[in-house]
Amino acid sequence: MNKTVLQIIRFVVLVLFQVLVINHIRLGGYVHPYIYMLFIMLLPFNTPKWQLLVLGFALGLTVDLFTGTPGLHAGATTLMAFCRPSIIQLISGNQKFENIPEPNLGQLDGMWFFRYVLCLVFVHHFALFFLESFSFRLIGQVLLRILLSVPVSVFLIMMILYIFKRERKRE
Amino acid sequence: MYNLQRFILKHHFVILFILLEVISILLLARSQNFHRNSLVNTSNVVVGKIYEWSSDVGNYFRLNTANEQLAEENAMLRQQLSIVYDTASCVYDVNEGDTLYEYIPAKVVNNSTNQANNYIIINKGARDGIERDMSVISTDGIVGVVTDVSRHYASIMSLLHSKSVVGVRFKNNQEIASVKWQTNNYRYGIVEDIPTHIVLQQGDTILTSSHSKIFPEDLMVGTVEEFYPTAVDALNKAKIRYATDFSTLRHVYVIKDLHKAETDSLKAKFQ
Repeated sequence: MNKTVLQIIRFVVLVLFQVLVINHIRLGGYVHPYIYMLFIMLLPFNTPKWQLLVLGFALGLTVDLFTGTPGLHAGATTLMAFCRPSIIQLISGNQKFENIPEPNLGQLDGMWFFRYVLCLVFVHHFALFFLESFSFRLIGQVLLRILLSVPVSVFLIMMILYIFKRERKRE
Repeated sequence: MYNLQRFILKHHFVILFILLEVISILLLARSQNFHRNSLVNTSNVVVGKIYEWSSDVGNYFRLNTANEQLAEENAMLRQQLSIVYDTASCVYDVNEGDTLYEYIPAKVVNNSTNQANNYIIINKGARDGIERDMSVISTDGIVGVVTDVSRHYASIMSLLHSKSVVGVRFKNNQEIASVKWQTNNYRYGIVEDIPTHIVLQQGDTILTSSHSKIFPEDLMVGTVEEFYPTAVDALNKAKIRYATDFSTLRHVYVIKDLHKAETDSLKAKFQ
């Protein structure tokens, strides 16, 4: 399948899954998992940096349209896209990805992927919940939300990756 | 000029990042107002349609409960109607057509309870006579206020919103107060301005007061769950349980105040 078409399908499916399914799951007042950022995480390694930002902004804004919070997810996802290149460099050190076109579980080991997802989800949730409260007044509550939501989001994202792992190898 | 060009090319990543973040924060700051901007409004048609398809699928499985609820409400209304006819038929002419409020039924197409600011989208809009600032209720109690209207849809600021304040009174003693929401549980709200001489019991009923600018008087808000008397402060607090269950909200009524223009023009004279 054409790579671009695959990306567009991934974008649409992840956004719809987020706003129609995940957003309606209630796990107490503090746990709000998000998985739509997986789209940014799975972009090819050689994606131009400015494209990362624009796609992150567009992805966040699309989710915002559904949740009625203009700018909230856009801001958080743009920050996450901005941090992606540095985080990849930070966690892989001297490792080179010359023959690996994009992050995928088939060719990269699970531990690398776990650290990659954990760092990016943390950046995203940190920005998101602070922007949502729009002040530092309720700092305790915001930190609790971050601490409780990050593990659930990471778990869901890793689960999605493992479910679709075999399919991507076949391509 | 060449230097500027080189600078932008060299730092395009950081510059673009800052630009996009500034746009996001500006959008977010604008949306903090009570009335939201038109960006969301224009997209309501696409977003509303997608939500409607999704909720249509979900509603199909809940038809039974919805039917039961409507039948129960019907029975209750019939009972109330019979009381009105019994006691008032000789004094008032009920058929005069001089009703105060018009109730517009609507279906919830999207609803959230787990954000800090929750909004509800319904499938009725300007075409059906919905306007900003109209109040919205469910069978059980009050729900929120209309904040944005597009042609076919309207968004409602739910009681579960960090800026939501409702003027209420206690049924037992007529004392007035206001209900706010504490952003972590969709079942409970809080009253923070109860005069010290008032003592509430668990289960006491709370209704909307006539001082509320938005809601008609005497609508069900909720019941007292826990009462916190304070020795230091001048005001007592109470945790209240909303009568409306926001997690299962499907059908709502938008209330159109038919005398709004009249009362507004009178109020304007005093100010």
